[in-house]
Order: sequence, then structure tokens, then C-alpha cells
Amino acid sequence: MIKIAQLSCGTEYSGVQSEIEMAATTVGAKMVYPDVEAKDIEDAVDKFGFNPTSAQLKLMIARAVAVTEGKYDADAIFISSCFRCAEAALIRNELRRYVQEHSRLPVVTYSFTERTKSGQLLTRMEALVTIVERKELLARERQVGLTAGIDSGSSTTKAMIMRDNHIIGKFWHKTGEVVACAEEALDKALAEAGVKRNQLEAIGVTGYGRFTIGKALKCDLIQEELTVNSKGAVWLADRQKGEATIIDIGGMDNKAITVRDGIPDNFTMGGICAGASGRFLEMTANRLKVDITDLGALADQGDWKKVEMNSYCSIFGIQSLVTSLASGHALADVAAAACHSVAEQVYEQQLQEIDVRHPVIQVGGTSLISGLVTAVGNVVGERPIVPPNSQYIGAAGAALLSSGFLEGHR
Amino acid sequence: MAKEFETRMIVISPSSPVTPDQVTRLVHSLGLKITVKETCYGAMIEGGKEEVHKALVAIRKLDPDRIFTKVRGFPIGDTRRCRAHHGSRPGFTQLEKEWECLKLVDKGVSAAERGEQVCERPRPGKLPVKRLREIVDEVSK
Amino acid sequence: MKVFIVPPNSLILFDLVERYGHEPLSLMGAIHERIVNPEVESPPMNVTPEDVKKGLKYAGIEVPSGIRGRLAVWGPLIDQADAAVIMDDAPFEFGCVGCHRTDEMVRYYIKKRKIPSIVVRYPTNEEEAKLMVAKIKEFLEGLK
Repeated sequence: MIKIAQLSCGTEYSGVQSEIEMAATTVGAKMVYPDVEAKDIEDAVDKFGFNPTSAQLKLMIARAVAVTEGKYDADAIFISSCFRCAEAALIRNELRRYVQEHSRLPVVTYSFTERTKSGQLLTRMEALVTIVERKELLARERQVGLTAGIDSGSSTTKAMIMRDNHIIGKFWHKTGEVVACAEEALDKALAEAGVKRNQLEAIGVTGYGRFTIGKALKCDLIQEELTVNSKGAVWLADRQKGEATIIDIGGMDNKAITVRDGIPDNFTMGGICAGASGRFLEMTANRLKVDITDLGALADQGDWKKVEMNSYCSIFGIQSLVTSLASGHALADVAAAACHSVAEQVYEQQLQEIDVRHPVIQVGGTSLISGLVTAVGNVVGERPIVPPNSQYIGAAGAALLSSGFLEGHR
Repeated sequence: MAKEFETRMIVISPSSPVTPDQVTRLVHSLGLKITVKETCYGAMIEGGKEEVHKALVAIRKLDPDRIFTKVRGFPIGDTRRCRAHHGSRPGFTQLEKEWECLKLVDKGVSAAERGEQVCERPRPGKLPVKRLREIVDEVSK
Repeated sequence: MKVFIVPPNSLILFDLVERYGHEPLSLMGAIHERIVNPEVESPPMNVTPEDVKKGLKYAGIEVPSGIRGRLAVWGPLIDQADAAVIMDDAPFEFGCVGCHRTDEMVRYYIKKRKIPSIVVRYPTNEEEAKLMVAKIKEFLEGLK
């Protein structure tokens, strides 16, 4: 049983403790609360250096210190506190840094409200478990044999066929009915590769539809997108060794993941609103009457500073878009402002919860929108690397990792 | 579970000679329909409210000024609060701290029982800025 | 009389209030009612999201959920309290009472209700402990 140490404040009084425990149980883990003695608390706070007024936060610090010093055995760390609590937000982030400096345990942070449900936590917990349980599998750097990967995302479904560490077929289209879409994408990728489905030695699946597709297609690997995408990203970017930050602005939510040798050690996932995701850019493209594939180039010609836009909420974002068009702003400037707004949201919401490590690798379908890559570059201070086939990270990661199941039989 | 059901923590002050074992043996000997569990700080008892209170009266008699009690929200052995199951919960640290304090509080209880008069000494306030300035000048000479 | 205690889960204050003849309104009692309620199929951990909404009576939506949830449990206790005993500088405010903002709000709410209350300082030596107990005893015995 994987033990996830919970370092938190306010979970029980927000009515979310049972949701946290349910999410952990669903992925075969359990939440544990590191034992500390009252006398250790002051020492730990002293060592940490930040002395919060709230006692529960002091306890949270002492628990973190106990885990990092090996006085308490845990496999992963979940740091959580109430959304909108300033004191806890400071501790949450600094404690996450402390834990990463003093241990090699994977860590995820989360700020909750009373509306947080186990479903929202599931992918994060699953990723923590995968990182602990499948360490060897995640260490795989080469794809072997003939395998397929499917990534069933909220907007698009992607499939990729790989043979002996080379991509031989790929296909993507819009997500509709998940299984039918996955089958179609797989078949088209197989056709491009010139191989039959029964020749495949393994299939891996990731993304929102992974469980349904995994069952229907009898996949060998069914794994959440945080670890799979990270693997796909470092493989595609040829950055398997060392550190990197992966930014994946998705159709429904965004991911920011820091990796060490291709294995995530910290990640955030979310997006308060579609306004901070690829969906907003799709809406922008529709409103500007340009194809989404042309939006990036258009944005690159514009100047975001000329248009005031904040896509914190997609409705308000579209409103300011309409207003700026009505007041005669150039399409290119509006497109640039939309890209900048999304990048800024990612910076404010995701990148504050992780420490950006270099290089930054931007992936996912939205990484093909060059204006968005420019905008992300502006906010993080360096232009991200966009590897070839960057929209296929999930499919590539799934094909690569599923080949790990073949080794023993070869 | 009946509404009149209660779980109590019996906490023995560190300065008391009474042992947790004595408390549990006493509770057993009372023949009441209650559950008792020995703990490192004393014991936990649980049952109908009336029976629990009868036991409390008897337990307190072991060392009236140095045995303390409070109700506990979770029933005995509830896995949601069980240390063996999850590791300690925040309340454990709190209890630990309060237990340490009992050696002071029990002196207070005894003094109050004796009707000992205690007078309040005002705590020193902050040094006036003027005085601090004078000190700074004196020290820096 | 019903006496609210701060910190609301304090063993020391609970014991003293009961010892000197009153009914302590404790957090543990409120929690007990919630978790052993036979009508709830799967008893919640301390509070439910519904409770957190009830906390809106005491603090607005912009206040973190953990504060509203705590106030949803403690607020009604203060509402029914006839008196309150508050301990300042307690070195043991872990767990349920771990949130300093809630703690401040609770003290404010007690004042606002204008019920008899006493503030004692956590003792640092025997002399102060004697004073603390004596003051609490006098206060509680004077309640009618």
C-alpha cells in the first residue's frame, strides 16, 4: 500500500477529508499523518524558519520535517490548505520547496474549497501512486517492439504507432464518443504505419477516457496523463536526462510538471475556468473567423499590449475580445492579447505552485499555436522548446511506456 | 448508537502516583456496562452517559485534584481516529501539550480547594520609549 | 449553565468548567453528535460541505472554507452559551483549533454576544497556575 503523507490545514473543517481519503483509496493508496511529538514542533518550525501564527500550520511544518528526515515513512507527499487563506498559501508553497530540497519524494500541492470532490483529486493521487509504484517503468527511455499509444483528451483524441523507438504512424481528430474515436484514431495511425492491429504487441492509453478505452481495447497500460505526458514530452524533446519543466495547456485543464530524468516530482493541474485553457483560444479563433491553426501566426504579428484582456473567466474574456474588436483593434493584436491572457493565467495559477526548471518544454495541441508559445516565453523568461509532434505527447508516452511490459517476454 | 452515549478521556496528571492500570482496574471493578481502554495518559471510557458519569465520580476519587477528564468526539477504536491505522491526528499533539501542563494546573486545583488566597501580580508592560532611549544612550557610552 | 471554552477542545478548561458545576460546551461534544448520528449512512469526518455553507451565517463566502466550517460548529455553541472562559497564550492550539483567524473571530463573537466571560492567561509557573484556577473557580461559582 502506497503511503501518501498528508500535510494540511482545514481539510476536516471544509468537509473534504473524506474526499481526499476516497481519492487515495481509489488508486490503491492511503493517506497517513506523520507522527510528531509536541516537543518537536518548535524545533521543526525553527529549522524551517517561517513561524506561522496558526498552530495547525506549525504542525504541518513539523510533519514535513519528520518525513524529510526519515523519521516517518511515506512514499509521497500531499500538501493542501484552504483556498483563499493567505497564511496557508505562503506555508504551502514554501513547505513544498523545503520538501523538494530535502527529499526525493514526489509531491503535489492543492488548495481546496468545500466543493472539492474526490474526482478532482483522483488524477493527482493516481500520478503520485504511479511515480512510486512504477518507478522502473517510468525510467524507460527507449521504446521497443511494435506498440501503440492512445491519448483520449477532452478536445482531441490522438494515436501513435511506434516501432523500435521510431514513430511509424500517427493520427488525431476531435473527441466525440470516446471508444469509437479512439478506435478510429488507432486504425488511421495503423494504416499510416502499414501494420495491422493484431500485430501490435502492446497498447497504452492515457487521458480522460483512459478507463473506458482501456477496458474496451484491452490495453496493457492504462495510466494518468501526468506521468505519461511527461515521459512523452522528454522523449519527443530528447531531454530524458536532467531537469525540465513541462507545460501542457490543454483543452480543459492545464498541467505544469517538473521532471528529474523524465520522472515527475512535482506537478499542478487545473485551471479555474476554460478562460485559462486551449478552449478559450478556440473560442477566440471562432470569433476572429480564423482557423485555430492560423491563430498563432496571426498573434505573432500582433502586440498584446494594445488590447486589454483578462481571460480569468472565458465569458468575460470573450466580452473584452468583442469590445476590443468593436473599438477597431487589429485582429492580430486581439489574437496576441488572447494568447498572452492564457499564458498569464497559466503563470498565475499553475507556475506559482511549482518551481520552473530549465529547459521549459511546451507540449499539447496548443503548443502548435506559435503565438501562445511566444506568450508563455514572455511570462517565463525563455522561449519554450516545442518538440516535433508535440501534440502527441500522451500517445507517444503511452506507446513508449506500454513497451515496458514486453521486456520480460523477449 | 443512542444519543445519550458518551466517550470520555481520563487524563492523569504527570505528578499523580495513580497509574492508567489502576484506573482501568477500578472501572472493571465497578461492574458498570461501560467499555474501558487503557492509554498512555490514563484511560478512555465509553457507554451510556449516566453510567459513564457514575464511573467518573469513582475515578476522580482516586486522586481528585490530579485526574482530569473531557469528552471525546470519536468513539473508542474508531479507525478514523486510530493512531495505528493512520498515524497520529492533530489532537494527539494537543493532548500531549495539555498533559504536560497538568502538573501546574493540579497545583492550582489543590490551592483552590484549600481556599488559598492568591494575588495577581501585574505583568510588566512595555518599556516607555523615553526610557529605552535613555538606556540606549547609557549603553552606547 | 452552559459555558463555552476557548480553546474549544481544551482538556484543562473542559475539566475545570465541569469540576466547578457547569456544563462545558465543547467542540468534542458537537463533533460526537455529528459522527455518531445514526441517520447519516456514512458519518462525515467532522463536518460536511453542508455545514460549511451554514458557516456563511458567521463569515462570508470570501472567507476560506476551513474557517467557515469551524465557525459552523463553534458558532451555534457560542449562540447557546451563557458564559465563556477564554485562555490566552495557550501553547496547545493544535488540531481543530489550529486556525488563528478562526480563533480571533470566535473571541470577537463571544464579545459581541455580551455574555459573561473571563480571560485567563496560560500559566508559566505554579503561582500563575494557582491564580488561573482561582479566577476560573470564582468566575464559575459566581454564575447564576
